[in-house]
Amino acid sequence: MCYINTLNKHDVKRCEVAIAGRYVPAEREQAFLDTIENPKYERDIVNGLKPFFQDKAPEDIKGFYSPEELSMLSSLHGTERDVESRMPVKMTRHFFEMAKTSKPLQRIIKASPDETLNLAGSEDPGYQMDFAPVEGMLHKYEMGLLYAVSTCSAHCRFCYREELISQKDIERQDGTVAKKGLAKIKEVTDYVRAHNEIVAANGGRHPETGREKLREVLLSGGDPMVLPNRKIGAWLAALAEAGVESIRLGTKEMSFHPNRFDDAFLSMLDAFHETYPEVGFRLMIHFNHPDEFLLRGPDGAYLENPNGSLKWHEDTLRAMEAVISRGWINVENQAPIIKGINDDSDALRVMQRALYRVGVGNHYFFCGRDIVAYRAFNVPIETAWNTLNESQKGLSGVETHARLSITHYKGKTEVVAVTNEPIPGVPGTENGVLIFKILRNALDAPDRGKVCIVGRNPDALWFDDYEDRVIFDEAGLFDYTRVDKKTIEAA
Amino acid sequence: MTFVVTENCIKCKYTDCVEVCPVDCFHEGPNFLVIDPEECIDCTLCEPECPAEAIYPEDDLPEGQEIFIELNAELSLEWPVITEQKDPPADAEAWDGKEGKLELLEK
Repeated sequence: MCYINTLNKHDVKRCEVAIAGRYVPAEREQAFLDTIENPKYERDIVNGLKPFFQDKAPEDIKGFYSPEELSMLSSLHGTERDVESRMPVKMTRHFFEMAKTSKPLQRIIKASPDETLNLAGSEDPGYQMDFAPVEGMLHKYEMGLLYAVSTCSAHCRFCYREELISQKDIERQDGTVAKKGLAKIKEVTDYVRAHNEIVAANGGRHPETGREKLREVLLSGGDPMVLPNRKIGAWLAALAEAGVESIRLGTKEMSFHPNRFDDAFLSMLDAFHETYPEVGFRLMIHFNHPDEFLLRGPDGAYLENPNGSLKWHEDTLRAMEAVISRGWINVENQAPIIKGINDDSDALRVMQRALYRVGVGNHYFFCGRDIVAYRAFNVPIETAWNTLNESQKGLSGVETHARLSITHYKGKTEVVAVTNEPIPGVPGTENGVLIFKILRNALDAPDRGKVCIVGRNPDALWFDDYEDRVIFDEAGLFDYTRVDKKTIEAA
Repeated sequence: MTFVVTENCIKCKYTDCVEVCPVDCFHEGPNFLVIDPEECIDCTLCEPECPAEAIYPEDDLPEGQEIFIELNAELSLEWPVITEQKDPPADAEAWDGKEGKLELLEK
């Protein structure tokens, strides 16, 4: 029985949920949820181009777009080249402050007419929906990825989930057309439990798909950090209760609004860790460029501390140190290499050093994916490899853990090496070769380590640009057939 | 900043908006919905969902709708959260666009 009039709004919600027969937290889970505080975060977001078109943006932000830029952008408004219908425009005050004097940062969030010059690209890169056993969840071998929310504090123009953020209709394998839906706790945890029960009952592998336990979940979106602490906490606890061993949270909030990592959020994480000490927690952060967290002097040089380390923005450093000092939270950075933003080996070198120095691992750098309008953002695969390789010259081994990954429809694939010399006696290698290696397969595990060698094409932005020069392909990158979704649903 | 539900929601109450809100900030009254300004994260997702075009950013309200900033803040403290879409009133379409609906707001 639920006496709605005598309860506060969150109690009411819980009662309503229980009445409807939906997700009901366990006792210790509820005890944890009851400790969570939900402050309001003042991000001072500027939404869309309208405030600029109508001269209504805050006084100091008005000049972020020049009159020429605004007139170009407004002339595209409402046409098929409308930059906002490709990807909504959004920025926070903090990011604006950091971007004021940094061209690379401006490129991250400033809309440009060039974005819609060539709209070629995939509406669902990687056929993500083929891997969705329930709406809002992708099951890739041992890992589940959740679309927890379809927005971020600010929007990167190069976002590879632009179809989710801009709520586009996507055609699924069975022919239905719909927006990508968001994950729901009950559906996701029911699926995880059911899958893992079948796996456990069959000696550690699913009898039909051969997959192992779903043991890791990545909370993604959008950016889960735009959700209130109670919602993030609800996901963490529900996943922990469902037997997930490790949870990752993917976020760009360290860059967009570092004050989001405040005492209320960290207390929530502490309480989670106390309640579920056996569950790993990893924060996957996203810095593209060191200007997102380092300070520069009037001469443009990065400011140094007396000990020679580089000086961080105080809010970002406080947030980062607060997270890292917990000790049980792993923090890893990963970012795509994007034209005009970080296709710059000096910037990447500074960033890898500075992040490792405060305890952040450098995980992946990515080649841009084949999103709609990818030609506006991607640098050639070989250029990306050279940029990263140059950036790692002179760094110590521990600072160079990052690899260059390109997300093939089969799974994450490393760009291992690009050679300048031909391989004697092997036709097609006259200009050198590029070597790909499968790191992880989206569907199952056995292909890890298999390689593919192609003749060089310095202009190649995507795999199809190598189709005519495949030399060796044990990885099967050029023999890809779309996954039959039914085999996943059988799980 | 926050988004604000304005006059044209009164007696229409389509509730398309509540499904897309990532932070469950809609509250439901007898014939009107409001947004809790303390919960709203300015994500903009609800704005295009409203068939009655009644949702606006706080700093871009149509003239004469300013009073709804206060009404949203006030009533969200009293009314229960709504997160699932329900059928609109049978005469919702007839009320869409009518003037002077503020007087008909039931609290």
